[in-house]
Amino acid sequence: MENLFGLLVGIAMGFLIQRVRASSPVVILQNLRLENLGIIKFMATTIAVGMITVYTLNLFIPDMLHFDIKPTYLVGVLVGGLIFGVGFGLGGYCPGTCVVGIGEGRRDAWFALAGGIVGALVFTLVYESVVAPIVEMMDFGRITVQDVLHVPAIAAALVIGTLFLVVVKLLPTQVKRA
Amino acid sequence: MTSPVPAPRSGMPAWASLGIIFGLVGAASILLFGPIGVSGTYPRLIGEAARAVDPAYAASNPYLVKMGSLFRAETFLVLGLVIGGFLGARRDAVKAPKVELPHPGHETNAKRYTEAFLAGFLILFGARLAGGCTSGLIISGMTQLSIAGFVFAAGVFATGIGTAKFMQAIRTGAR
Repeated sequence: MENLFGLLVGIAMGFLIQRVRASSPVVILQNLRLENLGIIKFMATTIAVGMITVYTLNLFIPDMLHFDIKPTYLVGVLVGGLIFGVGFGLGGYCPGTCVVGIGEGRRDAWFALAGGIVGALVFTLVYESVVAPIVEMMDFGRITVQDVLHVPAIAAALVIGTLFLVVVKLLPTQVKRA
Repeated sequence: MTSPVPAPRSGMPAWASLGIIFGLVGAASILLFGPIGVSGTYPRLIGEAARAVDPAYAASNPYLVKMGSLFRAETFLVLGLVIGGFLGARRDAVKAPKVELPHPGHETNAKRYTEAFLAGFLILFGARLAGGCTSGLIISGMTQLSIAGFVFAAGVFATGIGTAKFMQAIRTGAR
């Protein structure tokens, strides 16, 4: 049953990513050059709506939610993000959008997927020697904003979610003519 | 050049309406099986291949053991992305281009393929080091208010914006 849910969520995600043009490297690069902020605003809206929804549900049906907070091993998460950003700015794809791009018939998306498989392979090979020591550095565990600020989760979700929505409402979408 | 974001049909721009729906889909995912995430499927694929070719090595690699079997909801999610992308593209009057050249200035298709391959390598290596990608850490992580999601997003946009501007500078400068 979970696999069917996964498939359905994936179809919905792929459809939405394609419709908003997030699977287009041209559009991603326009966003990263800060010429058009449509995808950044889309992501911020998604996150805001998601956090307010899940933490509201958490007030009523906490046992039915499958939260999975990833650990904050600060050095590894930050360095991983910095490496990811170089690839994102170079290719305009992320691990999911290149798969959506393949569904759309984009040929360069296959090259990004192949590069990703090789990247995952190399990562697997160097994990024990190179990665594991980095992951152990400054590991704060599965911490959240509400843990750090000692506030109720719903309060943090409402404040941050609202802040995101206000910022995306105020920001222009088209900054510079492409 | 065509408009990057489809023209709004109602009063609400596409990024807003699609963002609201995507946020609800992400919340539904947490309700149904768990937060959305894509990049873990790549090493799980490597794991299945390794178990088929050299089961002893696969059992001795701590990362492959940690990531576990490919037969799980996240893998079906990735399959769904292909179908969703296909269905989305069918609604467009014009087919998606086979290759797009996202950086301004001179660029060839061959150069673009090399660039896409290298970029794919970097995003997967970076995502696995951090423990997630745009979906697992930025979308799902920040949705759940995980500190890791905010830290990862800061890193991604710092070098992402820097690299995009750098590519623009060297490509247009070299023309």
